[in-house]
Amino acid sequence: MALTLRNASVLVIDDFQGMRTMLRDFVRSMGVSTIDTASSGKDAIAQLNANRYDIVICDYNLGPGPNGQQVLEEARLKNLIGVATVWAMVTAEKTPEMVMGAAEVRPDDYLLKPINQVVLETRLSRLIARKHVLAPIEASVKSLNYSDAIAQCDQQLKARVAYPQEILRVKSDLLLAVGEHGAASALFESILAERDVPWAQTGLGKIHFHARQFGQAKEIFQQVLREHTVYMEASDWLAKSCNRMGDTQEAEQVLLEAVKISPNSPSRQKILGQTAYRNGSLDVAQTAFEKTIKIGEFSPHKAPAAYTGLARVLADRDAPYEALKTLALSKLEFKYNTEAAIQTGATESAVYQQMGQSERAESVMADVEKLLEKAAGRVSPEASLEVARALFALGMKERACTLLQDVVRNNHENLEVSESIETLFKDLGMHAEGQALIAQSSGEVVAINNQGVTLAKGGDLLGGANLLRSASAKLPSNEVILINLCGLLIALLSKEGKNHRIASEARELLDRVRVINLGNKNYHVYRAALNRIMGGR
Amino acid sequence: MAQEEISFTDLIASSIHDMKNSLNLQVSALEGIARQSRDKGDLALFQDLGRVIYQSNRMNLNLVELLSLYKLSKSIYPLDITEQSVAEVIEEAVMQNQSMMDFKGIVVSVDCAPDCYWYMDRELVKGVLVNALNNAFHYTRDQIHILARLQDKHLELRVEDNGAGYPERMLVNPDLASEHGVSFETGSTGLGFYFCEQVARLHKNGRKRGALAIENGGSLGGGCFVLRLP
Repeated sequence: MALTLRNASVLVIDDFQGMRTMLRDFVRSMGVSTIDTASSGKDAIAQLNANRYDIVICDYNLGPGPNGQQVLEEARLKNLIGVATVWAMVTAEKTPEMVMGAAEVRPDDYLLKPINQVVLETRLSRLIARKHVLAPIEASVKSLNYSDAIAQCDQQLKARVAYPQEILRVKSDLLLAVGEHGAASALFESILAERDVPWAQTGLGKIHFHARQFGQAKEIFQQVLREHTVYMEASDWLAKSCNRMGDTQEAEQVLLEAVKISPNSPSRQKILGQTAYRNGSLDVAQTAFEKTIKIGEFSPHKAPAAYTGLARVLADRDAPYEALKTLALSKLEFKYNTEAAIQTGATESAVYQQMGQSERAESVMADVEKLLEKAAGRVSPEASLEVARALFALGMKERACTLLQDVVRNNHENLEVSESIETLFKDLGMHAEGQALIAQSSGEVVAINNQGVTLAKGGDLLGGANLLRSASAKLPSNEVILINLCGLLIALLSKEGKNHRIASEARELLDRVRVINLGNKNYHVYRAALNRIMGGR
Repeated sequence: MAQEEISFTDLIASSIHDMKNSLNLQVSALEGIARQSRDKGDLALFQDLGRVIYQSNRMNLNLVELLSLYKLSKSIYPLDITEQSVAEVIEEAVMQNQSMMDFKGIVVSVDCAPDCYWYMDRELVKGVLVNALNNAFHYTRDQIHILARLQDKHLELRVEDNGAGYPERMLVNPDLASEHGVSFETGSTGLGFYFCEQVARLHKNGRKRGALAIENGGSLGGGCFVLRLP
């Protein structure tokens, strides 16, 4: 049954009792009978866990504990709300976070106070109508059926729906996600022919960035920011471009400006901390990491990197005990998270080494290595690099290089990863050695991959597949090997007919690719092909 | 130093947040009492409350304008010029002031195509419209007409009334509107006009900028407030 305002179930979240009652009374007067209220972020999450709501009206400021944005993020992350749920965020003033592109997880709309009943009712009705159009697209996106989502966007655009720009924007994001850069570029250009719209300009910049034309990308992002000072998305991409061009000083400046305008994004503060630390600006780095921890306290996306970053800053400032205290907090915070334990432990070892307590440093590292073994290669490059850095500090160069070789082999086409490994070597005064390691390790993988593909092209599909199978066993996170193996298996299936064992192997490969890189271009193609061959969805 | 400025902004923002909560509750409660008084037939009380609500709305408007101008002056206002449904923006501005119009028996009519979309910062332009409506509320006899139309690649928004119109000296020199100083009698501090001018100026497309004008005449023969956006 299509949702209407009257038959909706509504949750009102506001810490201020007066507002809560007022909003509830407004909703009740609209004829809604199922209304719950929550007086804090925590309370709200409990309610969202217990019930399904069609509409959530949530104040951004919720006093101590998670704020409205964090409640929304947790609800999305844990699927406490569906794609059809309308989320209206109530705020007292316009903030940079409300500008499109500033946050990844967005409410459906922001309502600025003062709110009266007529305004609320009109807005909610419009949001419900808009959901009818957007929810099916969002559902496809959520199940990673990007081509389907793009087709739906086209249908809506053809039907001349209200808010065509919003659909165009969604479509452009999808095109970028599946790597259709030509089509995305054409879309941006067609919009820019009419006027300078910041999201379309920024989109063009992203295309240059992905093509590694960092200079051109940088120029575009700067141009956007000259006209639209608070367009945070352009500012984040500008900092990224500067960093990739090696201009970390400029990146720090860009980020410092950005946090002045919009200080409450943990990821931006964390990147500022890391950039400033590399530049040796310990004051800036410390403030940024502290802020990351503070504003991330109630965020479902919090990660140990801010703690390890802060610990490194403190150790460099001759405050090793403070550093260890920070790491202890991190351990407490991420108790059951192996990856976090690896990252935190590596930093802890480095801090002890800096203190001159080599034995302690080595014993901590031994624990880290045990955890690494347990994780069987499925550790993020970020954590592995942290371990390698600590191993270098301990003088365990060989072990560090072996670890980094694995990281390169598992990510041989990921330029961002190889660049950060290169930087690590550069910082240690071993630039040439690092470059050689990267070239050799990625060369090995390229050779195996090519060999497999050549066999397959020569008609020996099974031989090619077997080669890549043994490679993938050693390189469980190599996206290219995994997806190519999957491609060969699909070719086998279409040649030799349905085979459930091979199909489920291919499915498992797709699942792993999805975890590594949602935007893998072939992922969507292969998924569709597999479904076609095996029938059903 | 920079740190202090940020916390000052936070302080202002959180105070305004608090004040807006109070005003929101106050107006909402007053509207409830007013409805009851009208239903009971106590028209004198109903109209008294109308005047109180009008003042509360003005306070809220001033708070919003002050905070926006403060942020604009510090270049930290999150200006967000995107494609908007013009009819929706007008509708919301009207709804925000509906109760006070009812008290004075003023009829507000709107002429805007439902498929009219234009680029603007929704909140700022709504602020300008609310401001213009507040002004018109004060000077009109009993009608206000809002007209939106696209003309040579501009959106023209007109708020017209059937009052006596602007005095001649203001039409000759519109700057007077922002410079004629504080007058508690008319409730004018120049803030509103200054705010509207800033909003117009911030709307740019290529080399073209938005503009503000005041005229007499229009469809109702009174004062006309005109905002043109490129």
